[in-house]
Amino acid sequence: MAADAVSGCVSSSGSFRFPEYEIPELNTQPFLVRAVGDLWKERLLGARDFSLEPPSPSSLDGAEAGAGEEDVAVAEDLGCSPETAAELSLVCGLDKLKYCEEEDDPEVIPEDTNLVTLGLRKRALERREETITVDRICRQETFAYEMESHAIGKKPSNPANLVNEGELILTLNIFYPVIFSKHKERKPYQTLLVLGSQKLTELRDAFCCASDLQIGGEFSNTPDQAPEHTSKDLYKSAFFYFEGTFYNDKRYPECRDLSRTVIEWSESHDRGYGKFQAAKMEDFTFNDLYIKLGFPYLYCHQGDCEHVVIITDIRLVHHDDCLDRTLYPLLTKKHWLWTRKCFVCKMYTARWVTNNDCFAPEDPCFFCDVCFRMLHYDSEGNKLGEFLAYPYVDPGTFN
Amino acid sequence: MGTPGGLHSDFEALLTRFQETDSVRFEDFTALWREMKFHTIFYGRTRHMEKNKFTKEALALAWKYFLPPYTFQIRVGALYLMYGLYNTQLCQPKQKIRVCLKDWDEVMKFQQDLTNAQHYDASYILRKLRLDKAFHFTAMPKPLSYRMKKNIPRTEVTEEFKEPNDRVMKLVTADTLEEIMNIHDHYQEMKQIISADKSQPDKALSLIKDEFLVNVKNLVLEHKQWHEDKKKLLIKVKNEDDQREKEGSSQELEGSERAGALAKIKSKAYSIVTQASKSRRHRQVKLEPLESEFVKKLVKTSYNKRNKEKLESGEETSSQIKGSKQSIKKEASCLSMPVITKEEEESEVFSEMGKVEVSKNSRNFNFRDSSTSFPEHYSDILSPFCNTFTFSILYYFSINPFQISCHLKE
Repeated sequence: MAADAVSGCVSSSGSFRFPEYEIPELNTQPFLVRAVGDLWKERLLGARDFSLEPPSPSSLDGAEAGAGEEDVAVAEDLGCSPETAAELSLVCGLDKLKYCEEEDDPEVIPEDTNLVTLGLRKRALERREETITVDRICRQETFAYEMESHAIGKKPSNPANLVNEGELILTLNIFYPVIFSKHKERKPYQTLLVLGSQKLTELRDAFCCASDLQIGGEFSNTPDQAPEHTSKDLYKSAFFYFEGTFYNDKRYPECRDLSRTVIEWSESHDRGYGKFQAAKMEDFTFNDLYIKLGFPYLYCHQGDCEHVVIITDIRLVHHDDCLDRTLYPLLTKKHWLWTRKCFVCKMYTARWVTNNDCFAPEDPCFFCDVCFRMLHYDSEGNKLGEFLAYPYVDPGTFN
Repeated sequence: MGTPGGLHSDFEALLTRFQETDSVRFEDFTALWREMKFHTIFYGRTRHMEKNKFTKEALALAWKYFLPPYTFQIRVGALYLMYGLYNTQLCQPKQKIRVCLKDWDEVMKFQQDLTNAQHYDASYILRKLRLDKAFHFTAMPKPLSYRMKKNIPRTEVTEEFKEPNDRVMKLVTADTLEEIMNIHDHYQEMKQIISADKSQPDKALSLIKDEFLVNVKNLVLEHKQWHEDKKKLLIKVKNEDDQREKEGSSQELEGSERAGALAKIKSKAYSIVTQASKSRRHRQVKLEPLESEFVKKLVKTSYNKRNKEKLESGEETSSQIKGSKQSIKKEASCLSMPVITKEEEESEVFSEMGKVEVSKNSRNFNFRDSSTSFPEHYSDILSPFCNTFTFSILYYFSINPFQISCHLKE
């Protein structure tokens, strides 16, 4: 069945050259991820273009030591004389781009500028300064920036964990399964970077969702009994859906084929979805996938916790990227979710939710651990009143 | 996407001014860059995220000008612009330039053109950007993310920077002409093979006019000429300084591998005298009899070296009908045709003369920007021609006098 899917893709993309738009600016036609890497490697001069070595210092400033060799290399590449090459490194030097009248400060927009951009920016910055009261946006932005850049340029302590040259990096947006009306326009998502050679299961394991951490059961009588198993440990089934194929997690014997229901449903009547395929998640790396860039796919776990997954970008790994392969899948962006606060202190994130609670003004009602215990138990830990209590994991826990 | 407002106009202002210089030299670009203080575009108290985003967008926007349909000169300008932006950006680590698979072949073609034309400064910079690892090699031009709203911004192409184009030119490209040529040859061959007399096709088989192909080519050439004239007129109305616009951007963007294949067409096309079209009769270019030793030498050496491609591409275009702003050269070559004795050097001199003549009309060479000063000892080399005219040749093509002297001494 899986082989069928693959052969189908090959024949449909027999004339495949580059990923092309299916709908302009929105998504591409399906293509094999690996092909992008291969096509680039055909076109580039490996060592030069995508080697993970830092750019050679002589190419950074030609006037330094090694300039002679550099000139020879330039001359060779361009087919000119070494003298011309030497002249070029002077003519094209970076100092030619600097306006070397006085030392200027990058923080300050010069007064005598004619650039429209600067005029606009100046006005925007002035407006910001005038109107800003609470700099919440700024704080969030700082955090987002740290998140995005925390792993940039990291090298592994063990050289064996170095990302391979010519490896692909995929950018995935994984959306939260939230249906709040305030998210009507923009769905919150997190962004992860994965390597082409990584398995789908590696992403599955790295991806955090509150529903994996939920603990089932009612614990009003024994709030101290530490629940040992989260849902992730108990219900291990999950699947990714890409281009007509369900990739099921089948690593453990207790894993169920979650996709079967959908496949059977689609086959029971001719519903116009074509034939779906099922494959094993652990057998596929991202390189092996046929996907459309920018197209919404699905990740489903815990039976019905469904995340839309969009692969937004594929590119060759760059020297400035995080080069420690153990850090991938790498989380680079996270949506700021509002956390549900404790109803009593209105300060801490809720950890318990109660039903039919004789102490609570509403049903369900949320409490942080401290308030929950103070309200519902006496000093010896005996249960007071009638209520049902469930542990609660807030989606904002990972903020 | 949300390109910051001013970027567009700032880039275009810089590129327009670069276009006006009629040059593809980095020196001229940096002069403008410094004058406009373009590196300050990143200045201001902005936050990291904003800075990154702005830089990304600036590089992406500059990249757009680096691809067709823009003229050769604008593309070189865009390359310099990217080099400038990449190196003056304040982000740490530097934001990279996104290149997608589809565009890379175009870049390689462009690099080949630069090498062929011996625009060393431009190819040096392209090479350096690659060595500095300034690129992210991606699958698609930008990250794609499914959106509900389809408010896809239309990408606008600035007309002034664009390679002139029209439907006839699209229909009859160099490829089709080449193809027709091949078919014709093949047809003739086949006829010969099946004829009794192998050397010459049977009279009974002569069903098409032999000069059919030649006529098609002439028509196409004429159309192109007309098109250029029309455009020129338009610009003239708009801008007195039209000649400048026409110059400089004259390089063609085609790969050199084609050049060989096209040579045949070229030679055939050029064996036919194309009359200057009616609309151009009033501006016949007079050729000054100046093919003296020096000029020849000059042409053979430096000029030849730097601008050979210009000429080649000029020929290429004429057969290729991919319009480019080089009517002057075209005009020059066309006009000099009747006098041309098949010799390559000669024709170069001629077109050179024509060109210089035209440019002299439109430009005032007063060495206002005397960054290149002529040292004393040139006077004896240049003495016979040491008048403004010669200087204007030199200056016009930004030939470094040093190089000439080297070549002359050789």
